[in-house]
Amino acid sequence: MAVCVAVIGKDNSPLYIGGIGTDSSTDNELSRQWLVHTALDALEERLVSSNTNAGNAPANAARTDLRDLYLGLLYSTDTHKIYGYVTNTRIKLVLVTSSTSPSGSNIRDAEVRTALRRLHALYADAICNPFHLPGDQITSSKFDKQVKNLMLNNV
Amino acid sequence: MADEIVFELLHSEIINYALEQTKNDKDTKDTDLSVVEYIGFAAGYKIMERLTREWPRFKDELDTMKFICTDFWTCIYKKQIDNLRTNHQGVYVLQDNAFRFLTNFSNGHQYLEFAPRYVAYTCGLIRGGLANLCINSVVTAEVQTMPSCKFHIHVQRS
Repeated sequence: MAVCVAVIGKDNSPLYIGGIGTDSSTDNELSRQWLVHTALDALEERLVSSNTNAGNAPANAARTDLRDLYLGLLYSTDTHKIYGYVTNTRIKLVLVTSSTSPSGSNIRDAEVRTALRRLHALYADAICNPFHLPGDQITSSKFDKQVKNLMLNNV
Repeated sequence: MADEIVFELLHSEIINYALEQTKNDKDTKDTDLSVVEYIGFAAGYKIMERLTREWPRFKDELDTMKFICTDFWTCIYKKQIDNLRTNHQGVYVLQDNAFRFLTNFSNGHQYLEFAPRYVAYTCGLIRGGLANLCINSVVTAEVQTMPSCKFHIHVQRS
């Protein structure tokens, strides 16, 4: 199941990091930040390769794949799997799932994709909050609640 | 349709309000439209997140401009841009032959001197939308004959 969700801004500053679960390795803010930030390099790498492939005819199949906002599994550690999603506005959404829990061993790609798309929808709503300034951390408790809900119900 | 005119009425009232505010300021003789431009910027910035949600990643700058001309414009002005021209070096000219905020005026030159007021919001809107897509730009507008309008986008490369 999903243990942690993060929204990272254009300049790689964390806009929101939220987590649930009793797993000792993810129950504090610091370890969550660490998990999410290890994924940023992998994200960056995928984005660069998607840019260089553009306009390159033989890489056509790969290009259509990379034009997808969902970037798939970034990498996995012994205990966690990290998935990435980058919006057209260069906002990075990261979802961390536990690979040790019994339900976590068989997470389907499609489920993560749906969860991240819904997270993107929530984010788009959150920035329309007039009290939120672009580039600031998201402090809205409504957003927090909705994301926690998403993590419990999805994946 | 009454529900579509609401946006136009709100837009013209915002302009009246902004002009009223600057009128009290005796020092400036010019009409200050930067407030209106900023309102457009903020709106464009926010709406872009929503509009590009279902859109595949943009290939390049031109791809982004095409998106502005079609989907972005349709969403706000209920029509597409009539003509897009570019020099492929960061200058884009978007021409709308029946710009929504100018269609209620008489054609020709009668109100031409007031036209800048009614394009400031849109300049901000385009600039804000592009800023959220990580393209820094300067947007200016040009009205020669009502109701057609040209928007010049100069992309700032650093």
